Amino acid sequence: MALSESQIGRYARQLLLPGLGEAGQERLGAARVRVVGAGPLAGPALLYLAQAGMGRLWVDDAAMVSPEDLSAWLYGPGDVGRPRSAAAAEALRTANGLVEAEPFRAGNLPTAVLVASGAQSTDRVAAEEARLLGLPHVVAEADGEGGAVTVIPAGSPCYKCAFRTGHGAIPTPAATAAVGALAALELVLLVADVSQEPRGRRIDLVRGQPMARPTVRLPGCTCGAGANEGIP
Amino acid sequence: MSATRLDVRAYACPMTYVRTRIALERLRVGEALEVWLAAGEPLESVPRNAVEEGHRVLSCEPLPAEGAGSWRVVIEKGNPPPEPL
Repeated sequence: MALSESQIGRYARQLLLPGLGEAGQERLGAARVRVVGAGPLAGPALLYLAQAGMGRLWVDDAAMVSPEDLSAWLYGPGDVGRPRSAAAAEALRTANGLVEAEPFRAGNLPTAVLVASGAQSTDRVAAEEARLLGLPHVVAEADGEGGAVTVIPAGSPCYKCAFRTGHGAIPTPAATAAVGALAALELVLLVADVSQEPRGRRIDLVRGQPMARPTVRLPGCTCGAGANEGIP
Repeated sequence: MSATRLDVRAYACPMTYVRTRIALERLRVGEALEVWLAAGEPLESVPRNAVEEGHRVLSCEPLPAEGAGSWRVVIEKGNPPPEPL
């Protein structure tokens, strides 16, 4: 199905990106993305996914908006005390009326997942759920002045295989926003099918310097049928 | 050779090339697109961007019957397609 006039106008600059074009934009429009988290890490990611034209966004976060969440780019002072998922979805619909955004509900069937809860235990559970469903997913973790983004196309080494213990430092707001936005960009490339790197990879952002490397399946990990699958 | 026609004279950059690019994407390799565009920045940027993305500019000429400042550029869709990101 061809893009509408309003979509062409709305996504004009993105349509100019090499390799994306109308076909890639249509793939984004057909996507149903579950985003786990709606705090300061997920906020910039959610906005970018909406602006990029992901067809449907499901926000999965059971927490209420707190005063410190006002740094999440999504909320105003009047949102404090509201469910994050509902307030975030409303902000996303305002940001781009061409996308659908709703709180995630049991039974929703996503085609891709972005994990950015800010809590390691939640991230692990959500990433494993996505893997078991065979969904491409991206996990964002902010840490101190940087963080990590793990890109997991369907069938590639899982988040547990790629995980590295960080410094555990409280992330700076700028690092949080940068890692969240980078994770959203990686998911856009994955969903639009224009990434130059089809393998799973982990991008470590250290003081503004990104270092990307393919992920490797840990021997014996249940995510793979054979040892070392995923090694380039 | 018949060509699909696209009139982008009512648009400003970057929409002139956005629409050209989408029209090219809908063609098969080797097919031609006739783009009507305005002199100035569109006439400079549309053919240049097309060549940079692997297409071929077959002709570029004024269209006096369509009024001063109107140009016709015929672009042949290239192969291979543009590189991914």
